[in-house]
Amino acid sequence: MKGFTGFKGFRGFRGFAGSGLFVALVLVLSVEASTQSVRLKPDTTSTPPDILITRQLAESEHLSVGSVVTIAIDPAGDRAREFRIAGIYEPTPNPSRLGVVPREVRLHLPDLLDLTRPTGGVPGTEYVSSINVALTDPNDAAAFANDVNARMPGVVALPSSQAAGSAGPFRVLERFHLAIAVVTIIAATVFLLALTIMLVDERRQTVGVLRLIGLPVRRILIQIFIEGVIVAAAGAAFGLLLAVASERLINGFFQWKYDTALVFVRITRDVAVTCTSIAVPLGAAATVVASWALLRRSGLRLVRR
Amino acid sequence: MNALGFAWRSLVRQPARAALGILGVAAVGALLFDMLLLSQGLITSMRDLLDRYGWDIRVVAGELPRQGPRIRDGVTASETIAMLPSVSGVLLVRVADAKIDRPSGTALNASFQGVDVRTSAGTGVARRPPWTILRGRDAAGPGEVVISESIASQAHLAPGASLMLRPSCVSEHEALPPTTMRVSGIAEFPFASETEDTIGGSFAALRNACSGNVGDEVDVLLVTSRSDADVTAAAIRAARPDLNAMTNDDVVGRLQQTGFSYFRQISTVLTAVTVSFAVLLITVLLTVSVNQRLGEIAALRALGFSRMRVVKDVLSESALIVGIGGLLSLPLGLLLATGLDDILKGMPGIPAELHFFVFERGALAIHLSLLLATALIAALYPMRIVSSLPIAATLRDEVIG
Repeated sequence: MKGFTGFKGFRGFRGFAGSGLFVALVLVLSVEASTQSVRLKPDTTSTPPDILITRQLAESEHLSVGSVVTIAIDPAGDRAREFRIAGIYEPTPNPSRLGVVPREVRLHLPDLLDLTRPTGGVPGTEYVSSINVALTDPNDAAAFANDVNARMPGVVALPSSQAAGSAGPFRVLERFHLAIAVVTIIAATVFLLALTIMLVDERRQTVGVLRLIGLPVRRILIQIFIEGVIVAAAGAAFGLLLAVASERLINGFFQWKYDTALVFVRITRDVAVTCTSIAVPLGAAATVVASWALLRRSGLRLVRR
Repeated sequence: MNALGFAWRSLVRQPARAALGILGVAAVGALLFDMLLLSQGLITSMRDLLDRYGWDIRVVAGELPRQGPRIRDGVTASETIAMLPSVSGVLLVRVADAKIDRPSGTALNASFQGVDVRTSAGTGVARRPPWTILRGRDAAGPGEVVISESIASQAHLAPGASLMLRPSCVSEHEALPPTTMRVSGIAEFPFASETEDTIGGSFAALRNACSGNVGDEVDVLLVTSRSDADVTAAAIRAARPDLNAMTNDDVVGRLQQTGFSYFRQISTVLTAVTVSFAVLLITVLLTVSVNQRLGEIAALRALGFSRMRVVKDVLSESALIVGIGGLLSLPLGLLLATGLDDILKGMPGIPAELHFFVFERGALAIHLSLLLATALIAALYPMRIVSSLPIAATLRDEVIG
């Protein structure tokens, strides 16, 4: 939704539509079909206006395209109207509503306003909760938002990139996952050091012989470093392959669990590059650090003579 | 010397690798411990929070408190419910948005909780409000309120000070005249988030601030039952079928089914990954260690150490690494949990008193069991190596090598 600007708290949007402030206006209004807010009852006696319903609602209420339902905005069923299901859609995944089954209905705006307008209300004076605006140039989002805020007191316009706020739940989750990643890296580094110390120790005699035949410490260290880089690169590649393989598994599980099309794990190029740029230097450095203690000893001591 | 003592000497002989192995287990163990605390922590914390204030049942018009429409005839509904024989008392809670004017700086956005009590004995019966007084005293009458610590610090208010607020009682676009209220105390609001500024007072105080523009609507009715909460909830549903009466268990159950389950799932996945990681690494550590000491082990066998004894030595070594690392992981894990809890509590709308990581004996027991299993599984392969070690061939290879 980059480039879209949303603003809230606006009355009499029809007048605003004529002001020419924006290029395209997209209104998306939905009514939740929970038992408390909207009541649906199958009906087959008339040919009423069209609506769309979510796949989840269709499945839970056994509705299909062509079914006629009655919608009311309160549990008592006052001012109920009939609608025909023209289509069933997969709702856009909404991370902030994870775990909530999207039982939603989409109506044409005039139908929704007719349905929800208070008794005696004048058409054209209704509220809309938010307006999404598509700009011809998405880079103008900030300037456009400032313009609307200046011209229309009481209306809050925000570029989509700021709409979630700095403390949105998924920003917090991102920080949480980062913290876990840091702990994992620390644990892995410690283990890596222990392993490399053992592996280097295993080659104590070989290194001792190389020292005795005259190879300088620097030369051996470079060789160990190159070995470390190769092993770390192979390890990182294996790790990435494992991550890619588990990506589908994890997404499949959570998508099934929450009945959503939301993607939970995505191995992007940036993620792969970040992981590799941490893992390879870390592996190579661990090898060199572990070897350094060994190389400080004399050749004779290393071959135990 | 027994197997444990022998394993200890083996570790001490190689202090660097032993220390690193133990530190690695401590770090992985800390993460594992935290994931176990996370798996049920939020639910345990929420249950504790709900039970702490003594209300057994929450009655709302929607599915969850403050996530649906208000109860239109809330005052009437509270009186009907209060008259039920199994109900001890009902606390009406009406929430309005309010702006608090400050001498300097922008106005603070706050929520104003107006409460009132209904019992079968009538109104005015003392009942604990949904907040805890930290300083000063509770609000009394239509002109007094209590405020959160956050408001007190931002607006430089103390008990006895005057507070000017402009509430929006029916819709957020109302422009009501400012009202001056007296701050009687500073309170902690258990269900308010750390960033949420909250004011509390009587229903009369809210009505006063709203210039009477609140009607009979309430957001939630908090009910204390005389007996079993489920029976009382059923009685409320029978009396008012249009309302949703939920016991504390129902609320926790609903939260478990929705967003909170994400943390349980993520903790399960990370627990599995962490345990696999620990098993793999300790197996490699022990295997490499054993491979380096094959000659030594063969010599011990030749000196009369039984096959079972050398297997026990390896198992003891594994147990020592995992055991010491596991013990270290407990304080490390609690420290890490504090940091992670602070991060997650940054989520909007999370009550300040709610915690994601809660210590439970059950979690500790599972943690220790998993570490025990890790020590055992990680030692299986190296144990197999030493148990099937050909003594003569190994000694010969060692001498020739």
